Amino acid sequence: MSTALKSRLAAAGSALRERDVDGTTLLLAACFVPMLAFFVVVWVIPIVYALGMSLFASPVRNPEFVGLGNYAELLGNGAFWGFLWNSVVYAVATTGLSLVIGLGLALVINQRIRGGDALRTLMIFPYLLPTLVVIFMWKFILDPNIGILNQFLVDAGLIDKPIAFFSTLEFAMPAVVITSVWKFASFAFFILLARLQAIDPDLYERARVEGATTWQAFRDITFPHLRGAILIILLVRGIWMFNKFDIIYLSTRGGPLQQTTTLPIRVYQLAFSEVNFGMATALAGVMFFLLAGVAVVYFRAFAPEKEVA
Amino acid sequence: MATSSGRGLVSHDTQKRLQRIAVYLTALLISVFTIIPVYVMVVIAIQSPATTFAGGRVNLLPTEPSLRNFLVLLGSTDTVRYFVNSLVVTLGSTVLSTTIAVAAGYGLTRFDFTGKSLAARAVLFSYMFSPIVLAIPLYVVFSTLGLLNSHFALTLALTAISAPFCIWLMWQYFQTVPIALEESAWVRGASRWRTVRDVVLPVARPGYISAAIFAFAVAWNDFTMARVVMSRDEMYTITVGASLFLDRVSIGWGETMAVSLLISIPPFLIALFLQRYLLQGFSVGGLE
Repeated sequence: MSTALKSRLAAAGSALRERDVDGTTLLLAACFVPMLAFFVVVWVIPIVYALGMSLFASPVRNPEFVGLGNYAELLGNGAFWGFLWNSVVYAVATTGLSLVIGLGLALVINQRIRGGDALRTLMIFPYLLPTLVVIFMWKFILDPNIGILNQFLVDAGLIDKPIAFFSTLEFAMPAVVITSVWKFASFAFFILLARLQAIDPDLYERARVEGATTWQAFRDITFPHLRGAILIILLVRGIWMFNKFDIIYLSTRGGPLQQTTTLPIRVYQLAFSEVNFGMATALAGVMFFLLAGVAVVYFRAFAPEKEVA
Repeated sequence: MATSSGRGLVSHDTQKRLQRIAVYLTALLISVFTIIPVYVMVVIAIQSPATTFAGGRVNLLPTEPSLRNFLVLLGSTDTVRYFVNSLVVTLGSTVLSTTIAVAAGYGLTRFDFTGKSLAARAVLFSYMFSPIVLAIPLYVVFSTLGLLNSHFALTLALTAISAPFCIWLMWQYFQTVPIALEESAWVRGASRWRTVRDVVLPVARPGYISAAIFAFAVAWNDFTMARVVMSRDEMYTITVGASLFLDRVSIGWGETMAVSLLISIPPFLIALFLQRYLLQGFSVGGLE
């Protein structure tokens, strides 16, 4: 190595050290490498791998490339549209009811009623209690043999004989919806309460002085402040409920007669009951693209990234 | 408006009173709806089934508390092992998720680069993502690598679903921490690393406690990932292990509610002692 090159290398090295005298480059790496590595390992690689798999028939045992064949088979089957419909019904019913209950309670607690703080603490439980525990509670309450709801309804003379809510065609979906609303209403409640408490009380004072009724104050002050939050709850909560797996799987396994089989339940059945990974990954792919579509709408409508970037 | 001048159908006072009644009635109804299932769980857990189901009806006024259900759980099920598995993966993913989030949140607010809004969209997209849709690809990859039935794989899977929100939370949180604090430390000759350790981390404490609580809750609550990643009984977490209890003839509602009560202890403690951190998390969006 020539001396000229050596000295140039030394100069470059010291320039680098000088610029990084306080370890900035290392800090930069420490900040971003974990996040990037994490996203690549648990998100990008598995999703790309699974999307690849969805192009094969029996991809695990003896893979045979079928292109979009799995997707065609999936979408061409009438059952798929039934499961999609179940997902939509479940998502709309649970999101709508959670919003109504959450909004009602948020408005109530915002009135600074007696016991409001205790009620707020109470509402944390449904949100934090593991889904399994919630299912156990409601399976007991709705049980046909010993459940207290049936006991109550029979005693009150409203029904002649107990109803097996989770395994009866017409009651299974409502039973799953009630169970889900019990757990998820607090999500809407906490977000809306945070928004309500951020409204300037002077606005209400001024409205009162000008003789506005409670309803007018709600319509012209409260509601405009909540509109953004309500839309976000409908959208984000709606997506989560559309994709909910555990609560339905644990309460009905998708039954009776596939009455509560939504797309997430179907994905699980395809992968682990029917061990058909070609179709399972294709359905996961369809759900992935549905989700991406909604995300595009969400980003266009709300530009949520503006909050940070 | 007629009512405000007292000439309407109902006087202003009556209207106010009715409104007050409606407010308390709503609060009462929702409290009852929320409390009843929790109450039923606790009572059935702390009574022996003989007491609960005496006379062919459910008795929900506890007269003879007993530890019988808990003793049956300890004696004839693997409840303890399931709890240990849950604790290992929950603590692992909480630490991993919070660490990634603190580093990312700090980096994203303190360094300039192009494509920040793309990064924000990627984080939000993964935050909205469906656990089951991610579970299938993860299963496929873990199975190819022979990692199924390991604490390591489940820890990664749980981190995958909790980290996006934790990153989002820390990203928002660090925006509220003024950079002036750090600058004054640099001026006094502290290196960037020392500044992070002595200035940034202490100030960010409420933020990362929030993030850790959400990561903990996601992992402790999880059923989907554990169900998919763990297929051997001795690797089950408590939610997967206990979900199979009701299928066994030897286990009834008493033991089922007893295990539910045990699973509910960590959430209960969080609600009582750490709720302000939880509420802080809701102000930036909350989690599934």
